[in-house]
Amino acid sequence: MLVELAPLAAPAEHVAIKAARPPVPRRMLRALPPFLYLAPGLGCLIVWTYRPLVEAVQLSFYRWNLLPTRPKVPVGLDNYQQVLELPALRHSLWLTVATIVCLLPFSVVLPTIIALLTRQVRGRVSVLYRALVFAPVLVPPMASAAMWVWLLDPRHGLVDRMLGQPINWLHERGPAQLAIIGITGWHLLGFAVLVVTAGLANINDEYSAAAQLDGATRRQITRWITLPLLSPTLVLLALMTVLLSGQLTFPLIDALTQGGPDGATTNAYYLLWEYGFKSFNAGLASAAGLAFFLGFGLIALFLVWLFEKLSFHDN
Amino acid sequence: MSRIQVEGLTKRFGEVAAVDRVSLDISHGDFLVLLGPSGCGKSTLLRMIAGLIEPSNGRVLLDGRDVTFAPPRERDMAMVFQSYALYPHLTVERNIGFPLRSRRRPRAEIRQKVHEVAELLDLADLLDRRPRELSGGQRQRVAVGRALVRDPGAFLMDEPLSNLDAKLRTATRGQLRALHHRLGSTIVYVTHDQVEAMTMATRVALLNAGRLEQVGTPTDVYDEPASVFVAGFLGSPAMNLIPARIESRAGRVQALAPGVEVPLWAADDQPAREVTLGVRPEHLIRVPPASGSPTSQSPASQSPMFRAVVEMVENLGGEEVAQCVVGDARLLARGPRPLGLRPGEPVVFDIPANRVHLFDRASGRRLVWQPTGADIPRDRDQVTVRVSDRPGSPGATDGDPTVAESPEGVLDASIV
Repeated sequence: MLVELAPLAAPAEHVAIKAARPPVPRRMLRALPPFLYLAPGLGCLIVWTYRPLVEAVQLSFYRWNLLPTRPKVPVGLDNYQQVLELPALRHSLWLTVATIVCLLPFSVVLPTIIALLTRQVRGRVSVLYRALVFAPVLVPPMASAAMWVWLLDPRHGLVDRMLGQPINWLHERGPAQLAIIGITGWHLLGFAVLVVTAGLANINDEYSAAAQLDGATRRQITRWITLPLLSPTLVLLALMTVLLSGQLTFPLIDALTQGGPDGATTNAYYLLWEYGFKSFNAGLASAAGLAFFLGFGLIALFLVWLFEKLSFHDN
Repeated sequence: MSRIQVEGLTKRFGEVAAVDRVSLDISHGDFLVLLGPSGCGKSTLLRMIAGLIEPSNGRVLLDGRDVTFAPPRERDMAMVFQSYALYPHLTVERNIGFPLRSRRRPRAEIRQKVHEVAELLDLADLLDRRPRELSGGQRQRVAVGRALVRDPGAFLMDEPLSNLDAKLRTATRGQLRALHHRLGSTIVYVTHDQVEAMTMATRVALLNAGRLEQVGTPTDVYDEPASVFVAGFLGSPAMNLIPARIESRAGRVQALAPGVEVPLWAADDQPAREVTLGVRPEHLIRVPPASGSPTSQSPASQSPMFRAVVEMVENLGGEEVAQCVVGDARLLARGPRPLGLRPGEPVVFDIPANRVHLFDRASGRRLVWQPTGADIPRDRDQVTVRVSDRPGSPGATDGDPTVAESPEGVLDASIV
């Protein structure tokens, strides 16, 4: 007689099997440490970033001159209406965008070219070369501004003497603009080269080896393999340019041109500061600040989305 | 059409020679497997053939043309990488078509060829996917497809199966062998897996610490390992290697060690010599305890050859491996299950003389019985042939006294 082997013993399908589990307070205590480690950072973030942001939103609906003794007058959406109508603001916004576009060659294009060309530099020389490229990043903006005032002096400055032409760099509309962009770019370049170099180092050499065996020339490899794989890094740099251009240019504008001549170098961030701390119009400054915040936030979101889309995680 | 010749190729990284004076002649249609443990320089050697690494010395010839310093694109070779190196931002279709695209072939031709290859490798449904959306086996096939698409003169493969699971690896081995059979092109294949080498290669080149140890057919390297290293690398479990001493005793050359006494062949002029005795686990024959001899009618096997004690028996399913101790040495014996051995029991093994390998103790090179004596009695040998479980097997080595022909027997270390 044939007898079928019984299957291995298993509990019925709907029977829940209870396993020993520590009591709830014990489990909560165990989950606590990560939050304890995070607490200082989160605290700072709330006190210094999120609270001011909320207060800026509140202020944007009032008229107030920053004096604690003076009352805040609620004005509804008046401040926002002014933001949309003020020609100075529109001009400064336009200038900000133009500055960002002009900075992209320094933060994306040139660093890519430099990093690709210097990829072959290895060993001790590469340390020296990286230190040289990175050095401008370490110069505080105010110190470099003071230095550039001398260099750009129309009568005795080194720049004009080398050009052989007396250009009034800091007091004419066009040259002043160029000077601000050029100096900011000089600051950015070293850091961007380092970021691109790190990005290149992250690309597995096997891809280039495979492409070589597949018969690709050096240019084809750069165009078809290296640059596409580097694109997330480049987007990240573009994102940084958009978000940090204000912080990078502000000290230079303040030290070199004070927004002049005739408001030619007054970008959005400098204007905000003027409204708030020169005209003491806290409400208008807050409203304009929020408008910029939203505008640049959208651009940043787009770039972050692009970054995610372009990232190819190799395994 | 590709014949690849490597002459004295050397690659030094600082003081270390990763590849040390390797010479190989890979003729057209060969499936040469570079085999060795990790770090033996086999990948470096392959990359020098590919042109990805410049050698420190020596040269590479492709169909007689010196390509030592030619860039990879000027050598008609395709390579499959261990990591597959599939371009992560390109679809399967563009990955496979890449070699044609970089050679500026017309789009229609690229499309057609890619589809042909995809059909062949069962990738037709995956052409629009990106590498990260593929399984390991699919990625491996795409990598092969990319190598296949432009019909290169030779294929270089760097451990292409090591990232697959065991079952897929077995299946892919068969596919690669079929592919080689169909294309007839030269393949240089790097692996540390002896099963891949044994099953696929037409020739195996064994590398150890950057040096070439032996080149030969899978049968050659398994049956006649040229050195202790090759003997200890091939086989699973690997060959038993026991320090022993060769002596002539009563007209017979014998290999002696504590608990070991292997009569080899008749001759009395062999000077004593320190050797390493090599015995494959599957060639050990258990002598039934009662008779004390494998076959009662064999007159020469009165003295049992390995007196061992069983330590442990491993069950492999179809076979069993017995771990024994003989003298101070360890001895593994393998055979169909059940072996009938139990831990703690004494056991006696016999071995056919033509299955015995001898290596010089100092140099590790294989010792060959230089065939000399004309009238050497062959009783022992005839016995072993009868006792051997594989009569007429290809294991008739140079150490086998049956091939001894001229009058003086000299045991000599010779480079095979």
